[in-house]
Amino acid sequence: MPLKRLVTASDEGAATAKRGPMIDGLWQCLPGGGGGGEHVPPPETLQTFSLDLTFHVRPLAFSVTDSPPRAADADSAGAPLQVPVPKVVSIRVAEPAIPVRTYAFPELPDVSRDALPKPKNAWSPPARRTRIAPPGDVIKLQDRLYYLLQPPLESLVASGRLTFPFEPFSFQFQGVAFLYPRFAAILADEMGLGKTMQAITAARLMLRNGELRSVLLICPKPLVTNWKREFHLWAPELPVGVIEGEQHRRRWQWQQPQVPVKIANYELLLRDAELFGRHGLHFDLVVLDEAQRIKNRSSSTSQVVRSISRTRSWALTGTPIENSPEDLVAIFEFLMPGVLSSDMRARRIGRTVSDYVLRRTKDAVLSDLPPKLYRDAELDLTPEQWTAYRAAEEQGVVRLAGMGQELTIQHVFELILRLKQICNFDPATGASSKMERLEADIEEVAASGKKAIVFSQWVETLITMRQRLASYRPLEYHGRISMRQREATIAEFRDSPSHHVLLMSYGAGSVGLNLQFCGYVFLFDRWWNPAVEDQAINRVHRIGVEGPVTVTRMLTLGTIEERINQVLEEKRELFASVFSATDCPANLGLTQQEIFGLFNLAAAGRGGSHRRDAA
Amino acid sequence: MKPSGQKSLPAIGFLTVTRDAEHGLFGGYLVLNHLGRPMEFHCTAPVRPNRAQEILYGPTLEPYLYGERIGQTLLRKASLSPVLAVTDVEPVMAARVFVSVPLALVARRPALAEAGSAALADVGSPTLLGQRLRRDPPHPAPRARTIRLTSLDACGGCLAVAADYPGDVECVRRCWPLFAEQIDLEEPFGRIRDAIEEARNGVR
Repeated sequence: MPLKRLVTASDEGAATAKRGPMIDGLWQCLPGGGGGGEHVPPPETLQTFSLDLTFHVRPLAFSVTDSPPRAADADSAGAPLQVPVPKVVSIRVAEPAIPVRTYAFPELPDVSRDALPKPKNAWSPPARRTRIAPPGDVIKLQDRLYYLLQPPLESLVASGRLTFPFEPFSFQFQGVAFLYPRFAAILADEMGLGKTMQAITAARLMLRNGELRSVLLICPKPLVTNWKREFHLWAPELPVGVIEGEQHRRRWQWQQPQVPVKIANYELLLRDAELFGRHGLHFDLVVLDEAQRIKNRSSSTSQVVRSISRTRSWALTGTPIENSPEDLVAIFEFLMPGVLSSDMRARRIGRTVSDYVLRRTKDAVLSDLPPKLYRDAELDLTPEQWTAYRAAEEQGVVRLAGMGQELTIQHVFELILRLKQICNFDPATGASSKMERLEADIEEVAASGKKAIVFSQWVETLITMRQRLASYRPLEYHGRISMRQREATIAEFRDSPSHHVLLMSYGAGSVGLNLQFCGYVFLFDRWWNPAVEDQAINRVHRIGVEGPVTVTRMLTLGTIEERINQVLEEKRELFASVFSATDCPANLGLTQQEIFGLFNLAAAGRGGSHRRDAA
Repeated sequence: MKPSGQKSLPAIGFLTVTRDAEHGLFGGYLVLNHLGRPMEFHCTAPVRPNRAQEILYGPTLEPYLYGERIGQTLLRKASLSPVLAVTDVEPVMAARVFVSVPLALVARRPALAEAGSAALADVGSPTLLGQRLRRDPPHPAPRARTIRLTSLDACGGCLAVAADYPGDVECVRRCWPLFAEQIDLEEPFGRIRDAIEEARNGVR
């Protein structure tokens, strides 16, 4: 029987379409089907036919026995050949298109490589890589990726594209990366960590990348020269203009578009306020140095600064909180109006500002900075001073107590200042335990060839000291010294080996100066605010200081100075509480009640919320 | 953005594929100018082979997915044509067959590789009865190399190109010096990985 007849198709038309041609009634795929080698896919279904396989047996008769012919007795049965239908699993190896998201970035102005010095040695990748991270308030993904995909800042230095007088510290690169993408930011590093350099470098990068065209830097008047010098040092290729001189000259200076960086002082802004509105001046970036200058929101300075039309706002301050969180609220009115309010608790303020404030301390980032050694000189008043002090205190307290409802906080302050002055010098005889100690210390400083700065609250005190320290040729730096003379004084003090002492007032010398060449700081009397004291100390203890800095804090025991010192310590705790996002009492400023309490006077009926900011 | 008539500056492409245990493969392609600044960035949606593909493609799956599918797609998607593209993932080199852009593989620096493996072996090694046990990394699974590579003695010996494209050798030697002073060969891949992560978070 031909096996090929076993399997065939029942529906030839349909099967042909699917399975290929049929030759002689057979599918070519079948064995013996004559397929000629061409591969034909097997049929998807098989049909079976039952064939009659019954054998018809006809018996043959032989003559051995003569029997009548009969049919053979044989049974037959049909056996269907059933082939089970195999199941076929089809696997499609599909190649669907892969979705791709595309982000294109603006081609920034090219910095001609030929104009920049090429690195002398073979370029090697920097060990550290500080990349710009997009701030939390940048929502659009393309903008976030733009910042994220920028090259590491260190590579700019390593490749020679950006030159610096010396290689910045890692934390300074982080500060630059922090400022770069932010439209509102506070760089609140501790004094001496290089806020100036970080702000200049961030602005420099943005100017070179074409992201800024106009920058206004506002600083206290005594620091204008310092800022100009720092710009020349850290961004020598940038034209910098100082707004100064007569009004017509200033008007012309304000409108010079070819000067991308303008420096103005706070005092001058008040005079030129109308120019902003009249001429529609707009700045891509406004940087406030010593931003605590606008901590009083109702002050004219704060209002004028806030009125400047600008795109980005940065604030630099080592003391964003001098007295209370209200100081920070006021700075944020310049940065992001409405984000903070006075009734917010410290913990919430800390959370809200966390993405906008960068604060590092020297202890945290400068493990190799020489130490700052505090030495508290706790002194007894001389007998002459005690006599004068007790008399003044008794008379003063009696007088205050007798004033009744006429007593104001100003009367209390007058007494405090009077007592503090006696703690410095006896007004009648000039006796001073502090001066005796200072003379002994300065003698040692001078003998070792070192230099010292002595801070005091009063110019009169500094003048008295000058006379007593005449043998050490002291120089002076305070409000009675002209601006022009101040710079020459600093240069002379730095360069002349014969000058060992600089007598400096807190007001004139506590901010912006670089006095790293000194090894000793004396706080002859204490300021109301610990932040101002810290600023003064950090004029000396900052990057570039060659050795340890010894800070001598003079304090007369049993006097008003000791009581004020307790309040200062409380203020230090306040600062730490906000920036560690922990809770703190709502009012930790030097309240009126606390001031009255220095003399055990009741402040009932006079309100307890008034604060004294002697700065 | 570009003023008319300004000559186009050479660009270089960085192409990589990252593997995410949950989502699969993400491709990223970053085009930088000669200063290392970003000009274009492309990234793919996650690609995940199914079990059948894993079986059927066998050892060719990686070159197929990394190179033919993801790499080719990204290189073709870019509007800027770099003079050179580099990758830090070897299977991506399979894309070279399908694109005209010279493609080079950044090999890990031997010193870095050794330092990395030494650190891995040392950290977290178990101890038994006071003795530190050595824990060796698993033997690498056999991988199909669908494209033969030729190392270059240029660039510190850390680049390799497809052997079947001898023109790529010349291209790398000619083009890489344009970028060598400004760009670290390995650094941009970190940017791409961060950007892929950012894009993933951004579209969730």
